[in-house]
Amino acid sequence: MEMNITLKNSVILIIFLITSIYAKAQVGISGTVTDEDGIPIPGVTVLEEDTSNGTVTNFDGEFNLEVNSLDSQIVFSSIGFESKTISIPENGIINISLQNDLQQLSEVVVVGYGNVQRQDLTGSVSTLKTEKIEDIPANSIERNLQGRIAGLQVSTPSQDPGAGATVRIRGGSSLRGSNSPLIVVDGFPLGDAGNLKQINPADIESVDVLKDASASAIYGSRGANGVIIITTNRAKEGKTNVRIQQQSSVSYFNSEVDLWRDPVLLAQINNESRINGGFQPLYIGAQNATGVYYPSVYELQSGEWPNFTSWDDIVFRDAPISNNTTISLNSGTEKTSFNLSANYFTDMGVYKDDDYSKIGYNLRVDHDLFEDFKIRFSNVLSKGNRDANSGLAYWRNPIFPVYDENGDYFLVGTNDYSHPVAISENRLDETKTTDVITSLALEYDIFDALKLTSRINYKYGEYINDQFFPSTYTEAGDFNNGAASINNWQSHNFVTETFANYDETFGDHTIGATGGFTYENYLQRNSSLGAFDFVNETMQNENIGAGNPELNRVSNGHVETELVSGIFRLNYGFLNRYLATFTGRVDGSSKFGKNNKWAFFPSGALSWKLHEEDFLKDVETIDQLKLRLSYGISGNQGISPYQTLSRYGVSQYYDNGSWVTAIGPGFEVGRAGQGGIEVLWGGIPNPDLKWETTSQYDIGLDMALFNEKLSLTFDYYKKHTRDLLRERILTPSSSYDRIWINNGEITNEGFELSVNANMIDKEDFSFSSTLIFFTNENEVLDLGGVAESGLLIDPNTGMQFEYSGNSLAQFRQYPNILAVGEPVNVFYGYKTDGIIQTLQEGIDAGLDGDLAQPGEFKYVDVNSDGIINLDDRTIIGDPNPDFNLSLGFDLNYKNFDFSIFFNGSFGQDVINTQRFNQPSNLPYRWTLDNPTNDYPRLRDGRQTYFSDWWVEDGSFVRVQNLTLGYTLPFDDSIIYNARIYINGNNLYTFSDFEGYDPEVGTDGIYWGGYPRLRQLTFGLDLTF
Amino acid sequence: MKYLYKLGLLFTFLGILSCDLEEDPYGFYSEENFYQTEADATAAINYAYDALTYLEYSRAIYFLGDLPTDEIFPKNDEGIDVQNLNNWQVSTFQNNNILNNFFKYAYIAINRSNAVLENVPEANYDEQFQNQIVGEAYFLRAWNYFNLVRAFGNVPIHKNVVQTLNQTSAPLSENLDEIYDLIISDCEKSIELLGINQRLGRADKVAAQALLAKVYLQIASAKENGVSQYMEMNREVNSMYSMAEQTAAQVLEGHSVYGFEDNLLDIYDVEMPLGSENIFLLSMDRSGTIEGDYSKISKLFIPYIDGATIYLPNPNGTYTPSHDGWSVFNTQTEFYNSYDNSDKRKTELIVDSVYNAQAELSATYPGAIVYPFSRKYIDPNFIGDKTSTKPFLLRYSDVALIYAEAAGPTSQAYDYVNYIRNRAGLNDLESGLSIDDFREAVLRERKWELAWEGNRLYDLRRFNIVTETVSEASGLSKDEANFYPLPQREIDLNPSL
Repeated sequence: MEMNITLKNSVILIIFLITSIYAKAQVGISGTVTDEDGIPIPGVTVLEEDTSNGTVTNFDGEFNLEVNSLDSQIVFSSIGFESKTISIPENGIINISLQNDLQQLSEVVVVGYGNVQRQDLTGSVSTLKTEKIEDIPANSIERNLQGRIAGLQVSTPSQDPGAGATVRIRGGSSLRGSNSPLIVVDGFPLGDAGNLKQINPADIESVDVLKDASASAIYGSRGANGVIIITTNRAKEGKTNVRIQQQSSVSYFNSEVDLWRDPVLLAQINNESRINGGFQPLYIGAQNATGVYYPSVYELQSGEWPNFTSWDDIVFRDAPISNNTTISLNSGTEKTSFNLSANYFTDMGVYKDDDYSKIGYNLRVDHDLFEDFKIRFSNVLSKGNRDANSGLAYWRNPIFPVYDENGDYFLVGTNDYSHPVAISENRLDETKTTDVITSLALEYDIFDALKLTSRINYKYGEYINDQFFPSTYTEAGDFNNGAASINNWQSHNFVTETFANYDETFGDHTIGATGGFTYENYLQRNSSLGAFDFVNETMQNENIGAGNPELNRVSNGHVETELVSGIFRLNYGFLNRYLATFTGRVDGSSKFGKNNKWAFFPSGALSWKLHEEDFLKDVETIDQLKLRLSYGISGNQGISPYQTLSRYGVSQYYDNGSWVTAIGPGFEVGRAGQGGIEVLWGGIPNPDLKWETTSQYDIGLDMALFNEKLSLTFDYYKKHTRDLLRERILTPSSSYDRIWINNGEITNEGFELSVNANMIDKEDFSFSSTLIFFTNENEVLDLGGVAESGLLIDPNTGMQFEYSGNSLAQFRQYPNILAVGEPVNVFYGYKTDGIIQTLQEGIDAGLDGDLAQPGEFKYVDVNSDGIINLDDRTIIGDPNPDFNLSLGFDLNYKNFDFSIFFNGSFGQDVINTQRFNQPSNLPYRWTLDNPTNDYPRLRDGRQTYFSDWWVEDGSFVRVQNLTLGYTLPFDDSIIYNARIYINGNNLYTFSDFEGYDPEVGTDGIYWGGYPRLRQLTFGLDLTF
Repeated sequence: MKYLYKLGLLFTFLGILSCDLEEDPYGFYSEENFYQTEADATAAINYAYDALTYLEYSRAIYFLGDLPTDEIFPKNDEGIDVQNLNNWQVSTFQNNNILNNFFKYAYIAINRSNAVLENVPEANYDEQFQNQIVGEAYFLRAWNYFNLVRAFGNVPIHKNVVQTLNQTSAPLSENLDEIYDLIISDCEKSIELLGINQRLGRADKVAAQALLAKVYLQIASAKENGVSQYMEMNREVNSMYSMAEQTAAQVLEGHSVYGFEDNLLDIYDVEMPLGSENIFLLSMDRSGTIEGDYSKISKLFIPYIDGATIYLPNPNGTYTPSHDGWSVFNTQTEFYNSYDNSDKRKTELIVDSVYNAQAELSATYPGAIVYPFSRKYIDPNFIGDKTSTKPFLLRYSDVALIYAEAAGPTSQAYDYVNYIRNRAGLNDLESGLSIDDFREAVLRERKWELAWEGNRLYDLRRFNIVTETVSEASGLSKDEANFYPLPQREIDLNPSL
């Protein structure tokens, strides 16, 4: 998949190294350099051998060079092509064609504080060139990485405008810390991957994913979750280009919204449910307890009832249209190149007035101050605006009108907080973000083999969130007679790094060394103003001082962390066959306890290029056969700051008739108990607290065959994470409940396979495909002691576990558990065996009372003790996929290009919380006339247990993306390149899952919501 | 040109120079930036008092002191922990959250007191100010250890603030002498350091004396009545009785601040927290923001009627409004019937009929009122569920009865008992009682006078008669009835046990 590559950056770099100006030539030569197909190649270095006299070809592949001697040999070289050396012919005109080099092998891979050629890579690093995905509009690059890289799992449960993605490399290895990879942009570590909205995806040239410990250990205490390195575009030398990329997208649901379309059926179902539950039916043509009139079934049937509202038509847009425009300008001269791009991006939500927009620019300037001294500067500005209006009640009862007879909103009773129009028109929830990223780098070539780089990076991020909840229509507003707030948040991220790269060959020995250190400082501040109880609400939150002063709420927060690191890497190659890499990073973090401030993360890798061995060297079909082996240790410092310090609590005490502040040992860290009324006490420091440690080994094989027509990468890995950051329980007489400690272990292991096949590669016709397959198997090995971790014991198997995630209200139970010996977040609940058909069957099953009646769930007596109780719960599902598979095809025929991309995830279980509350499933209920085994009877007030009845297979295959493009045949030189295309994203999903879409969060819980959006994009890409 | 290279290297040093890696607390307090001003010391002692108000601890006053006795029983749908406690399901007690929370919060309060004791004397405060803060901290430590020892017997002893992981576990006291020595010595220091100053929410010298009298009586009567663990104590029964008598006498006579309230209803008037009976009240106020700061104790005692405001009739013909309750603590019928029908503590302090805003009778017991309920916790100015009703922790009448019980049938002792009986509209106690009969008569008086004030269980325990008196506890061993077991979590997680 990384075939059609031009290595612009590296070309420029090397050109600059090689070329310098000698102006004393007497003889001119000229010519054109083309590729095998006769297409001109720009940027080819043309050098008079044994001198430093040379030039590069222009965009038409042409060059002119004054040579010192006509006897000289002229060397033509360009990355991606095999070099050629030619004598100067008499006419001084050289028209030559260069052969394609083995592209993938010479591709440059960014590995953190340096680059290596792919053929010399010892670790496990995957690279994606963004030209593969640039036809898909995106707010941040992460969503578009789904399925593109083996071992990189991306899920996008949220469809909100501007929403990010959940990103995992080789599974999650932390329980309480972050599981997101570190994202690094042009050397600047920015934090957790997930929503890199600051960087316009169109500005990104390539994405490198560091997966094994050999690759990620250079990022030390932040490397355990893997690292995603983003490299942005740098201008190439040549004339000034203007590029316009325009994308207009239209979205629509990929299936019908599941709503009641027949009010009679709605009323019948509801009445039946309430009667079965022993309640007064609602639809009887009378007022209910709160004074709301519900029509009788007859009134609905006969048409006497005048109202039927299709709330989805009111709440949703028909086809929201979004826009993504990027205009970029780039130019390069011998000494200076710059790249300026501006972007305007909108993402219109499917809810009306639920919008996101972003505007930003990106400036990059590279300048050679001296021959051996380069300055690189970049500045990115990104301003976003999220006008949120999501979560509106499209599921509202259709028998109620939008407005009453007076034209006011029709409210159902006094506590109606779900009127979508009222909320849309009166609620305020707007967030404005500003991000600035600035980087200044100095690169000094002290001598040919040694380069010194020094960089200052600074990132500023802020948001301001304005909210207002009116006193009617919203719950928060009703409780407080109007609720307004302004929330401010800002962060400063400052990183300096200085490192040296040394590359030299001594005979059969090749040495590459990197060493240096970095300093990072992160400062985050926030404040929040809240006011309530307004006399007049027209100003919303504009005058926060206008609220009732006694109810004002203010708060602020502050986080500062520091990280000081030393880094080194040593690459050693012998005979270009045996490669070894040693990497290490020393991290000192302010977040760690004072007894564990410093950590060392070493790794090592060996690689053997079998294809360079004599016995394979002459085998024509094998271009590459390389074995890799690596082992190393990386960390995860995903604890919040100040966890290792003693922290006192503050409360109020009523002393002598007034409230006074009370302060002392013991800090409220949370609440427990029914209704969350019991305080949990923490604040006791753990000076030994440290990072989580992940050791990982990786065995890999890289293979390329048939002149790289077929290439394959295979990896097997096993990660073992120890010292998990967790809270342990303290003895009650200590007067504390919890303390943060390091305990617990998790493993992740899996296979990854990527295959690229260039089946046909002709000038007018090419066809290639990519297959990516990967697995990850996760197991919790240890959760600490039963008593100190407060673990529960499964009475039937002795399995130790604790609940994780969120309690599901409809079951009043936590469906997910962390269990020793099981993958994270497995489902724990009852088993069922269909539906009870006779009372005797229910009693025989061990049930009694309401639960034993015909039409109820037939729970299974797992421990065969004759009764159904909590002891009958067992593991009933696993939300982790068995494997992920994606398949892409690219086809080019003359000016047409076509690509299609399938992405699938297999074997994961999903809890369908909506399996028995939707218009599409409720009518299939059990009744005396329909004694089905598939659905229970309707019964309001049923205490439903969480059982396997709610668990479905979430496997799916998605036609994720399809592009059809046409490159316009412009021959004149004004328009350099023009392409139009149509792109479809999320076109169709094959799945047995009964809900809208099985792609859910890592806890496997499907919450319902609305259908997935299909997106059609019309694109235009013009370069002048 | 060279300067540019140097500039590059400058980046390098920027990193080195600014590296420190020590975290400084921002926006929160710790021992490093606290205990510096008098205001800090005041905030620290208030934090120790505040521990008593958390509902896990303040509600347990009744869940332990009254529920497992012959006074009350819980409504049907109360949680399993409440039912087990009432029904003396002793096998479940180690995992009973009510007991566990009571245990935990006693230590939370002790730790906060220890923090004051350890840090405040180190700072240079005005001596009088420092004496007051430290004296109160001693009082609170004694108060909480007394709570622990009465409930659990031997418990782990923490004399220092817990600030590191290896300080979190402490061994059990070797015997009750060790705990009581600490309690008595803390009380004595507190008495020495404190002056007399009645103030809502804070303890003074008289409170420390009252507590000490209670402690002496506990030891004396428990040992005399053969309660195990107390039997092994070195302290001698008669000297303990006499210390109790002397100490109680100081409370009763040593000043003019505290005394008997003539009118029964005035004792329980929520607007009179500085009434002369109130030696130490738990400080809660309806203007608080979380439960504990405000009180819902009224809701526990009052039965649910219909959700509307109820009006309680006063002897002077007026009515006192209140919300109705949750019917958590149902009065035992036998207990209700044990009162003499002319006893004002029954006729005035137990409600069997309520009225509406128009002064019309709206509900009666038996009938819509499911049980006759105590009006010791009524707040006419309630805000929703929020009230200022407060537990009575140390009351003048309690100390008077302590004195009487300790002194035996002396005329002074008769005087105190008879004052309390006469105030309730009863005749004098039969004169010429033997010392044992007299002490039993005082116990009965305590039952009626101090009902629903968190005393009954501890009285029954020190008389060693829980199993005889409480039907749910019959059949248990004396030890099972006299001491709750340590929480299972403590046994599992305290390596020093």
